[in-house]
Amino acid sequence: MKKLFLLIALLFTALSFAQEIGSVKGLITDKEFNNEPLPYASVVIKGTSKGVSSNEEGIYEFKDLDVGSYILVFSFVGYETQEIKVEVVANKVTVVNVPLGVSAASLSEVVITTTTRKESEAALLLDQKKATEIKQSIGAVELSRKGVGDAAGAVSKISGVSKQEGSSNVYVRGLGDRYLNTTLNGLSLPSNDVNKKNVDLNLFSTDIIENVSISKAYSSRFYGDFSAGNVDISSKDYKGDWFFDFYTGSSVNTNAADQNFLKSEGTSYFGFYNRFDNDPFAVVLSHGFDSVDLNTPININFGGSFGKSFDFENGSRLSFYGTGSFENSFEYRRGSNINFTNVEDRAFEDAEEFEYSTKTTGMLAVNYKLDNNNSFKFNSLFINDSSDRVGNFGIDGGGRNRNAIQNTDEGFFQSNVQFDQNLIYVNQLLGKHNYEKFEIDWGIGYNVVNAHQPDRRRISLENYQLALDNDPNTNPTLFSNVVFDNQRYFQNIEDEELNGRINFEYDYAENIKINAGYNGRTKQRDFDNIRFGYDIVNPNTPVTDVNDFDSLFSLENLNTSSNPNGLFNIRVINNLPGQSNTNRPGLPENTYNGQLDVHAGYVNAEITADDNKWLFVPGLRVESFDQNISFDVINLGNEGQSSRSFSDVVYLPSLSVKYNINEDQNVRFAISETISLPEFKEVAPFVYESVSQRIGGNPDVLGFSRILNIDLKYDWFLSKNEIISIGGFYKRINDPINQVVAFDATGTQRFFRTGDNAEVIGLELELRKNIIMQDEDNAKLSGGFNVTLTNTKQDLFETVDGTIFDVSFSSDEEELQGASPVIINADLSYSPKIGTYEPNANLVFSYFSDRIDALGSGQLGNVIEKGIPTLDFILKSEITEKLEFNFSAKNLLNPTIQYEREGTGVLVTSPNGKDVTDYRRGLNIGFQLKYKF
Amino acid sequence: MKKNFLLGLAIFGLLFNSCTSDDTADIIINDNGGGDDTPPPSGTIFLSGTFTEDLTLDANETYVLNGSLIMAAGTTLTIPAGMTIEALAEGSDVYIAIAQGAQIIANGTADNPIILTSDASAPQAGDWGGVIVLGEAPINSVTGAATATSEIASLPYGGTNAEDNSGSIRYMRVQYSGAAADGQSENNGFSFYGVGRGTVIEFIQVFEGSDDGVEFFGGTVNVNNVVVVNSQDDSIDWTEGYSGTITDAYVLHGAEHDKGIEADGYNTDIGNNSNPLFFSRPNINNLTIIGNGSGTGNEAIRLRAGTQGIFTNVLIEGFEEGFDLDGDDGDNPTGAGVLSGDLSVTDVTFTDVILEVKNDTGETFMDSDFLSGIGSATGTDFATWGAGWTVGL
Repeated sequence: MKKLFLLIALLFTALSFAQEIGSVKGLITDKEFNNEPLPYASVVIKGTSKGVSSNEEGIYEFKDLDVGSYILVFSFVGYETQEIKVEVVANKVTVVNVPLGVSAASLSEVVITTTTRKESEAALLLDQKKATEIKQSIGAVELSRKGVGDAAGAVSKISGVSKQEGSSNVYVRGLGDRYLNTTLNGLSLPSNDVNKKNVDLNLFSTDIIENVSISKAYSSRFYGDFSAGNVDISSKDYKGDWFFDFYTGSSVNTNAADQNFLKSEGTSYFGFYNRFDNDPFAVVLSHGFDSVDLNTPININFGGSFGKSFDFENGSRLSFYGTGSFENSFEYRRGSNINFTNVEDRAFEDAEEFEYSTKTTGMLAVNYKLDNNNSFKFNSLFINDSSDRVGNFGIDGGGRNRNAIQNTDEGFFQSNVQFDQNLIYVNQLLGKHNYEKFEIDWGIGYNVVNAHQPDRRRISLENYQLALDNDPNTNPTLFSNVVFDNQRYFQNIEDEELNGRINFEYDYAENIKINAGYNGRTKQRDFDNIRFGYDIVNPNTPVTDVNDFDSLFSLENLNTSSNPNGLFNIRVINNLPGQSNTNRPGLPENTYNGQLDVHAGYVNAEITADDNKWLFVPGLRVESFDQNISFDVINLGNEGQSSRSFSDVVYLPSLSVKYNINEDQNVRFAISETISLPEFKEVAPFVYESVSQRIGGNPDVLGFSRILNIDLKYDWFLSKNEIISIGGFYKRINDPINQVVAFDATGTQRFFRTGDNAEVIGLELELRKNIIMQDEDNAKLSGGFNVTLTNTKQDLFETVDGTIFDVSFSSDEEELQGASPVIINADLSYSPKIGTYEPNANLVFSYFSDRIDALGSGQLGNVIEKGIPTLDFILKSEITEKLEFNFSAKNLLNPTIQYEREGTGVLVTSPNGKDVTDYRRGLNIGFQLKYKF
Repeated sequence: MKKNFLLGLAIFGLLFNSCTSDDTADIIINDNGGGDDTPPPSGTIFLSGTFTEDLTLDANETYVLNGSLIMAAGTTLTIPAGMTIEALAEGSDVYIAIAQGAQIIANGTADNPIILTSDASAPQAGDWGGVIVLGEAPINSVTGAATATSEIASLPYGGTNAEDNSGSIRYMRVQYSGAAADGQSENNGFSFYGVGRGTVIEFIQVFEGSDDGVEFFGGTVNVNNVVVVNSQDDSIDWTEGYSGTITDAYVLHGAEHDKGIEADGYNTDIGNNSNPLFFSRPNINNLTIIGNGSGTGNEAIRLRAGTQGIFTNVLIEGFEEGFDLDGDDGDNPTGAGVLSGDLSVTDVTFTDVILEVKNDTGETFMDSDFLSGIGSATGTDFATWGAGWTVGL
C-alpha cells in the first residue's frame, strides 16, 4: 500500500514538466549486510548545501533539480564515501542505485550515530579504532563466516580468549569465570549454572547476536566487580521494512553416530521435564532408574526470524524483530574416570557418557523510534537449555574402588543419569534520548533463571565383571557402603535479578564530553536440594539384570510393614517433623539464600586535546555493595544454620589515554582499580557431590579482592579490514580466591583466600591481513592471527586457619589457575568469485597450552589441563539470492582431552570438566539450508 | 513468581513442555513401620546445641539427645554411671561431640555401664550419629600446629600436644549409631580425632553401627578393652598418623560388614603433610576378629597407604584373607614398613582362613618377614573382661 503510494508520488513528480527540471532518485544498499536497503545514508550535492537522507527503505530522492550535471556524494557512517556524477534530464527521473561499503578512511568526518550497523568486521574494527576503551568485538558477519554458532564460540575467536573444552568456561587473558562479567545490551545477565558467575555463552545463538564485544580495560560505567573483561552481547534488532527467513540443518558427530543412544526417562526430546510439581518422593516412588533409548543420533537444528516495521503519521516508527530456534546435539564420550590423589581412590579405566543436549531460544525485540531524538527498545528473551547425561563407569568390569567391600581390584561399577534444565527469562526496557547537548541512555532489566537438576539417579555395583561373563549363576551385587551409594537427587536454584542503568552524556565543550550515571542491581538466589538413598536391607543383594533396575527398585520391593521382607528402604537425611526418615518424604537437605545489592554512581570525562590527537578519559566510580548469605546445611554441626554478610563502599578510579599517532595508528594506555566479589556458591557451605568430586563453599571467603589493572596497546589499522595490534597488560589481585582440597577428613574441594597477591603479566599480538585481493576492496584470501603470552604467579600461605575449614600449601608460589602461558587463534578465509557465485571457505584454528585446572594443596599436586589444538572448516555459499547452503566440518584434529595429576603422570577426572576424561569429542560434520523471503 | 511478567514467551516454553507427560502418582502412606511415633515421657530433658559451660547430667533425670550436642573448649560433660541416654532416631545431626579443649567424664562400671542408644521401638543401625571426641594431639594430614576439620560436625582437630587430655570414658556402649551425615559420610560409633594419650578410654562397645565401629583420625590415645559387634563397615579403622596403643580388642562380624580392621598411614584424600614425615603406627596387643567363614570372602585386616603398626597376639577366624597389604614404592610405603620392621605381627593364629597374607605393596617380602609365631596366638581374653556389660554376644 505504502509502496504504491510512493510509486504514484514518483510518477507525479516525473510528470510535472512545467519547467526545465528533473530529479534524481535511487536505492542505497548495504554491501556489508546482504545488500539490504541502507537507511539514513546521506546524499549531498557537491558544492551545494543540498542534501537528503535515505529513508527506511534505503530510498533517497532530489526533486526539482535544474537540468545539468551534478556530483552526488553518498556517505554513511563508517562506510566508504562515493562520489558519482549524474546528469539531470528535463522531466525525467535519474535513478542512481548505489551500494555502499565499508571504508576506514571516512570515519573521522562522521559522527557515530545509533544506526551504525555493527555486524561487519570492518565496521567493528572502526568501532574499535574509535572507541574510548580497549575493546574488541566480533559481529554477526564474522561469526557466520567462521561457523560460530553461539557467543561462546564468538569470544574464543578474540585475542587472549580461550574456551575450556567440554565446559562453558571462558578464560580471558588467563583469568576465568570469577574475573569476567557478562551483559546483554549493557545490563547484567544471570548465570544459568550454580557453579558459575557468568552465563554459558553457548546459549546465545547467532540469531540473537548482533555482536559480542569484550572490553578488557575497565571503564567506570562497568560494575566494579571486573578484572579480565566484560563480555557484552548486543542483541539483534531490525529496522527495515520486513523480512522473513528460516533455516534448517543437520549434522552428525562421528563418535555418537553409531551408538545406541540413551537418555534419562521422563524428559522430552525438546529438553523439558514436567514432574516439578510433584513431591520428589512421589517421583522416586512412581518412576524408576532405567534410561531409555533415544532414536538416531543425528543433530538437527531449525529456526526462523522475522522483522516488520510500521510507520505512524507523526513520523514515529515501530519495528519488531522475532526469532525462534531449536537445536540439539548428541555427544558420546568414551574414556576414563579416575580419582587419584596420592593413591588411587576410584578408577574406572573404561567409562562412557552419553550427552543429549537441546537449546530452545525465542526472542522478541520491539523498537519504537518516537522521533530522531527519542527511541525505546523492549527485549524479551527466553532460553531453555537442557543436558541429558547417561554415564556408565567401569563398563569393562575392571573398575576399582579402594573402599569396595567385595573386591577392591575389579568389578566396581557406577552409573549416573542426570538431567539439567535451565530456564532463562530476560526482559529489558531500554531508552535513548537526545536533547541538544545532552544524551540520556537508560535501561532496566528483570531476569529470572530456574536451574533444575531433577531426579539424578546413581547406581553402584560390585563384581560387575560377573554381569559380563554370560554365566547366569554369577551376578554383580549392589554396593551399599553408605545408604546414598544408590540414590536419587533433586536440586533447584532460582535466581532473580532486577537491574538498571542510566547514563547522562553532556557535551560540555567542543573537546570535553562528560558522562555521569548510576548502575544498580539487586540479585537473589534460592537454593534447595534433597536426596533419597536406597538402603539395601540384605548385604550383597545380587543384580540379575544390569539393564533392569526398575523392577529391582520397584514399589513391590520396598520394605514396609506390609512387606517386611522388602529389598530396600528409602532414606532421607532430614525427616519431616514427627515423621521417620525412612520411607517417607523429607525436608530439603540443604538450602541457602543469597542476596547481593549493588548501587553505584560514576562520572567520567572524555577530553580531547591537540586537535584530537589525544583523548583522556579520567573516571571515578563509587560503589556500595551488600552481600548476604544465609544457609541451612547438613554436617556443619551447630554452625549449619547461620548467615553471614558483608558490605562496603569502594572508590574505583580509572584513567585511559589514547594518542592518535596519525589517522591509522594509535596508542592506548589504561589504569584502573577494580574489585572481585565472591559468588554465592563459593560462600554457601553446601557440598555438591558428582560421580568423583565433592565441591563446597566456605563462608570465610566473604569480602572482596582489590585489583589493579594496567594496559598498554598499539593499533595500526592498515586498511579497512586489516590491523596490527600489540598490547601488554599487568594485573595484581589482592587476596585471590582459589578452589583447593580442604583439610577436612573427606578431602572436599572448597574455596579459600589462598595468598596475599596474584600477578598476571602478558603480551597480546594481533594481525589481520589481506593476502590475495579479488578487487580493490575485497580480498580473495585473507587471514587473521592472534597470540597471547602470559606469565602468572600467586603467592600461597603456608597455612590458612579458617573459622571452619583449613588448608595449607607445601609450595609458597604457583601459577594462576586457568592461565595458559600461550593462547593462539588463527583463521584463513578464501572467497573466490566465480561469476556471481561467491562461496566463502574458512579454516579456523585455536590452541591453548597446558594450564592448571585445579590447584593442589598440601602434598597434592595440581590438576593440569593438557593444551589442545582445534581446527574447523566452514563453507558458506549463496546458491541464489534467497537460498544459502552451508557446510561445516568441526574438530578436524579431534584431540584427546586430558587432565593429569601433576607429578604422578596419572590422568584424572577434572573437577571442572566432564565426568569422563581422556576422551575425544569426535568430528562434527553438518550442513544447513537457509531460505530468505 | 511473577510469571505473568515473563510475557508470552513463557507460553512458548509450555508448548514444548506439554510434550512430556506427568504420570507421577500421589504418595499414599499406609505403613506404620519405620521410626518411633511414641513421644518421650513428660519431664524428659532434651539435649542439643553448643554448650559453653559444663554440663553435668543428673542420674535422676531422663535425657533424650535431639540434635548435635557439642561441648565447646573449656567445658566438661559429665555422665553418671548407669545412665541410658536415648537419641532421637532422626539420623545425621544427632550426636555428641567433645571439641578440642573440652572433656568428657563418663565413667560407667561393669555393673552399671553407660548406654547411648536409639529411642526407636525397633531400633536399627544408623538411627543416630555417635560419639565424637576431638583433641590436640598430632595428626599427619597437616603441618605443625595447623588443624584439620572433622568429617562430621566440621570441628577442628589435631595439634602438637601428644599428652592432650579429653577426659575419660569407661564402660560405655554405643548402639545403633552410624547415621549418614551427607551423601558420602557416615557417623562411626566412636570417632577419635587427634585425641591425646592423657585421655582414658577403656571398656567401650559399639553394637549395630552402620559405619565403622571405632575410628582414629591421628592422635596418640591409648584404648583398652574394645568390643565391636555387627558394624556394617570396618570395625576398627585408623588413619592420619594414629600412634596410640590398642590393648584387648574383640571384633565380631554380622551379616553386613566390611573389614575387621582397615588402616591407612595417612588420609589419602588430603595427603601426608607432616614434617618430619610420619605414618600411622599403633601398637595392637591381644586382638580377636571373628568373621562369617572363609567361604563368605572378605578380609580381616587391610593395611594401606604406608601404615605401620606392631601387632602382638592376633587371632583371626573365618575369612578368605587374613592380612591384605596395599601400597607402592612412592608415597605409600606399606611394604617398606614390613622390610624395616615398622609393620609386623608377632604371634598370630589363623582359623578357617584361606590366604594368610596378600601382598599388593609393590615390595617383595616373605610372609615370614611380616608374621612370626604362627599358631601361637590366643587373641584377647574376652570372656573374662567382656562379661556383664556388653551385648550381642
